[in-house]
Amino acid sequence: MNRPDKDRSRKAGKGFRALGPALAVALGAAFGNPVAAQDVQTVTATVCAACHAEDGNSVIPMFPKIAGLQEAYIVKQLRDFMSGRRKSDVMAPVVAQLKPEDVAPLAAFYSKQKLKPGEADNKKAIGLGKLIFHDGNEETGVPACVGCHQPQGAGHGVYPRIGGQHTAYVTQQLKNFAASERSNDVSRFMRVTSKRMSEEEIHAVAEYLVGLEAK
Amino acid sequence: MNKFLTTIFVVMLWPLVTTAQTPSWNEIKGEQLIALQTKGDAVRGEVAFEPCQGCHRNDASGRTSGAYPRLSGQHATVLIKQIVDIRAGRRINPKMEPFIGDHALTPFEIADIASYLQGLPISAEIGKGPGTRLAAGKQLYDKDCTSCHGARGEGSAEKFYPMVASQHFRYLLRESQFIRDGDRRNSNPEMVKVIKSYSNSDLEALADYMAQLPPPRR
Ligand code: HEC
Ligand code: HEC
Ligand code: HEC
Ligand code: HEC
Repeated sequence: MNRPDKDRSRKAGKGFRALGPALAVALGAAFGNPVAAQDVQTVTATVCAACHAEDGNSVIPMFPKIAGLQEAYIVKQLRDFMSGRRKSDVMAPVVAQLKPEDVAPLAAFYSKQKLKPGEADNKKAIGLGKLIFHDGNEETGVPACVGCHQPQGAGHGVYPRIGGQHTAYVTQQLKNFAASERSNDVSRFMRVTSKRMSEEEIHAVAEYLVGLEAK
Repeated sequence: MNKFLTTIFVVMLWPLVTTAQTPSWNEIKGEQLIALQTKGDAVRGEVAFEPCQGCHRNDASGRTSGAYPRLSGQHATVLIKQIVDIRAGRRINPKMEPFIGDHALTPFEIADIASYLQGLPISAEIGKGPGTRLAAGKQLYDKDCTSCHGARGEGSAEKFYPMVASQHFRYLLRESQFIRDGDRRNSNPEMVKVIKSYSNSDLEALADYMAQLPPPRR
């Protein structure tokens, strides 16, 4: 399950291992033997909550907050995890237990929760992060994030909410996009964008985003 | 009014297109032809324009630094030609290419975007030049540029001549230099001939003049 060559999966994998026994029980209880329709509430409470918290506001920085994400975006991500278009050693075994018809109610549930913003660890980085978010970088052709992700990073349509998301998670996703390890972005928009960003810009924009609260 | 203009345009252009009498700097074929024949839908265009906003801004006013041009109010025909030329590599734009390549946009979406942008109001916030040589700029402009770009910098939709009034100074200057030095390979050769003899300081005076021309009435 762990790919030792990838820092990301090592880190995420550790979290997963720690949760291992509890999760195995939860997965067993929630999914059991193939049953017809799964009760969304049971699944969210016993499976997803272990990592994403009950209301989707994960408290573990490497696990994304999934509260308040766009419904269509959640559907797309779960399907992408299922088909392997988005690779994650942590989410893969989780979605392996889901049936296609579980996706819609899960997405509906989490999209209706409210995402709670956090606080930046490195407040000095916020200034540069704000600049990147609103203006991008004209020299290197980084487009402003606000153009697609909307004011306060609220997202809409195919552009997910990123305002209020964990710094560590955002940083990791941007690095994954830049290395094409995450490649499920339509039209390659995020791979192109993140490849043009410096480490400093990636870190700064993630520190800015975590504090954004969107309606 | 937007839809009306587009319709008029398609009707007007149709004979021109079918007789295939198009000049070599503007051979209307392939996806350019498809986009021009498509009745652009401004509502769909607004959505298709979203990935462009990170550079060109939500109101398509571009950047006053001139790094990214204003697109609002530009003729739909000009926008279509420029996008198609950039996709085909006739005009080099590595920063933008990954966002407008054919993996990202269909010719129909190009038509929608062009129709949407043409109908947008022109922002008052335009990056101006130093304003020191406007008289010299005007003189050169009136002599060599009005025949195509119009006395008020309004350009021409039918002839694919861009509106140059109220465009950002730095952008105009950079493009003029590209055109003069052959780096913008899709340019009308008549214009290249005219502009060849211009010095950098002439081009600066010209860009200075064009940038401060008020948005032309339609
Ligand atoms: C063992 C921990 C764990 C469990 C249990 C878990 N997740 Fe995840 N989830 C993750 C991690 C880690 C990621 C980020 C994956 C990556 O690195 O790309 C993630 C990503 C996601 C995403 C994508 C979020 C985004 O912003 O793109 C969604 C949606 C999601 N999980 C939903 C769920 C649902 C629904 C459940 C319950 C059925 C669940 N997860 C159970 C750890 C977990
Ligand atoms: C051209 C449009 C566009 C621009 C500009 C853009 N993004 Fe994105 N972004 C997307 C799309 C589309 C997705 C969803 C990809 C998918 O479907 O998996 C995305 C996804 C993301 C994600 C993953 C979210 C998650 O929950 O996993 C992050 C983080 C992100 N973008 C950050 C940024 C930052 C930071 C910037 C500015 C530097 C930016 N984006 C600029 C289109 C854009
Ligand atoms: C990464 C930044 C970036 C993005 C995103 C971007 N552009 Fe551009 N665009 C530019 C730059 C830079 C230029 C000027 C290039 C030059 O100097 O020749 C330009 C020029 C143009 C022009 C030519 C304007 C003229 O007056 O000749 C058009 C039309 C255009 N863009 C349309 C679009 C559309 C439509 C999209 C979205 C589908 C888009 N752009 C997305 C950076 C961008
Ligand atoms: C014979 C007609 C003609 C003449 C004369 C002409 N132009 Fe142009 N100009 C064009 C056309 C056509 C284009 C668009 C070229 C293309 O398709 O790339 C253009 C484009 C431009 C652009 C780029 C605009 C943009 O939005 O990207 C600038 C700047 C410009 N011309 C300046 C001038 C100046 C200054 C003069 C006078 C010295 C001049 N032109 C004379 C036809 C002309």
